[in-house]
Amino acid sequence: MVTGPDKIDRLRDIARLIRIDVITMIYTTADGHPGGSLSVVDILTALYFDAMRIDPADPKRPDRDRLILSKGHACPALYAALARRGYFPATDLPGLRTFESHLQGHPDMNKTPGVDFTSGSLGNGVSIGLGMALAARITGQDYYVYVVTGDGEIEEGIVWEAAMSASKYRLDRLIVIVDNNGIQSSGPICEVSGLEPIIPKWEAFGWHCQQIDGHDIGQILQAVQQAKATRGRPSMILAKTVKGQGVPFMIGDNSWHKRVPTREEYEQAILALGGTLP
Amino acid sequence: MTRIGNTRLAFIEALTEIASQDPRVVLVCADSVLVVKARSFAQQFPGRFVDVGIAEQNAVAVAAGMASCGLIPYVATYAGFISMRACEQVRTFVAYPGLNVRFVGANGGISAGEREGVTHQFFEDIGIMRTIPGITVVVPADQDQVRQATFAIHQAKGPVYLRIGSGRDPIVDAVPVPFQLGRIRVLADYGRDLAILANGPVLNRALQAARMLEADGIKALVADVHTVKPLDQDAILSLLRQTGAAVTIEDHNVIGGLGSAIAELACQQCPTPVVRLGLQDVYPRSGHPDELLDHYGMAIPDILAAARRAIAIRNGKDR
Repeated sequence: MVTGPDKIDRLRDIARLIRIDVITMIYTTADGHPGGSLSVVDILTALYFDAMRIDPADPKRPDRDRLILSKGHACPALYAALARRGYFPATDLPGLRTFESHLQGHPDMNKTPGVDFTSGSLGNGVSIGLGMALAARITGQDYYVYVVTGDGEIEEGIVWEAAMSASKYRLDRLIVIVDNNGIQSSGPICEVSGLEPIIPKWEAFGWHCQQIDGHDIGQILQAVQQAKATRGRPSMILAKTVKGQGVPFMIGDNSWHKRVPTREEYEQAILALGGTLP
Repeated sequence: MTRIGNTRLAFIEALTEIASQDPRVVLVCADSVLVVKARSFAQQFPGRFVDVGIAEQNAVAVAAGMASCGLIPYVATYAGFISMRACEQVRTFVAYPGLNVRFVGANGGISAGEREGVTHQFFEDIGIMRTIPGITVVVPADQDQVRQATFAIHQAKGPVYLRIGSGRDPIVDAVPVPFQLGRIRVLADYGRDLAILANGPVLNRALQAARMLEADGIKALVADVHTVKPLDQDAILSLLRQTGAAVTIEDHNVIGGLGSAIAELACQQCPTPVVRLGLQDVYPRSGHPDELLDHYGMAIPDILAAARRAIAIRNGKDR
């Protein structure tokens, strides 16, 4: 939890360090998805280091807020955020995707402390979050459920099944944040699918919608506050982001959706993020 | 004359009793409230009844989310819409995390799809569920077994798939033997010439065939293998060793279900001829359940012929 008048600046710096972790993990283990991990970092930072009611010393606390990273391939960012938040030692991070590590190729709720739900198969997070939000109502808890999705993955039909149900049940403790970096595996979403426009679709399904700059931590926190203040319906925050954010040569080049940097690229990326080379 | 019961009603009545004792129970439907006769459940427990509409993938994932928060959701709708439409949600978001979700699949088998045709006849569900690690798979015989099974699976750890029928389900004509999850029940025991291993609504046919075989000098036993996974391996192996010949019969495709499970066990631990009866890997059609079972390889003469064949193979006369 970060507090004080310089909170936003400090959160920005945490996000910068998480980006360095992401690049280092993918470079070290020679596998992973840098582009979409970098786009979601500020969202995860704002949630884990400010918005969420969590207790890293007690990761299964029944009244904790939940977060589902539905775009599970961005887990390097999730793992780095959890480690920096104190769920497990940062020295675990280089183990990403290796046999002995608890850091699976996609998040596993039974292996990694702080992971609230298994993910990686796209499109399922909103439904699972809906189940958690219904469970809160049934068990009399007041936690919030945050679901962070990619934009490409909301092409899945189950997302809209869940959008309908969440609206029916007026689940105002369910907050979906769409990491709208505009590019999916095989290209720009506007070319691959007929997904856009995104906001009118969620509005038509009865959701409270906001659009923000997904790299502006102040805007993210403000939007979350507004979503929490919204009563009687679920909230969707469309966070406009940039795939590869923070590493200039990755921006605009979708080969970085899943690609491992060379030694030279790794060094270039770390320096761009204000890091120091080992 | 076969007496007819209602496995769907038996399930919901048992669940209603369980829910009144256990506040963790939630019923999740996918516009299936009429399918599983859940109107009274919904009225009695409005806060613990969730209907997501015709959206089975969502139903399963919602249940997964609930289970991760300590609830015990029962997802109840047609068998194929759970096992096929929502297969990946079952596997990745319930079974992989090992969550306490119970799946209740109606219209299991070809007979339960009475008159509805192939879209509502589900004869792959057991095979599909059985290949997913960590799921307990149960095929109760009749309404009484469904009731007992519903209580039994509530106590189980991890995900469970329970198959129920059409609501017009034959009552097994045998001396009641208590249901014990994971244990076979021997329903008829004429001798050790042959083991007839069966489950579900075809058990009456197995029992009738065993009586006819007995009159013909072939002494068979009939065991109800209601828990297809985990299989009661020791008890089944013991029967295979004692008889040396087996016939399986199930209202399911012959690929993947009970017959496959028994054959796998026999091959590895007690090589025994296993003649498998069931739907012979074809698509069935609309019709009365008895007509369908008779036509698609589960008629009494089919069982008699299979019994003789298994014994002949064992005796080295049909190689």
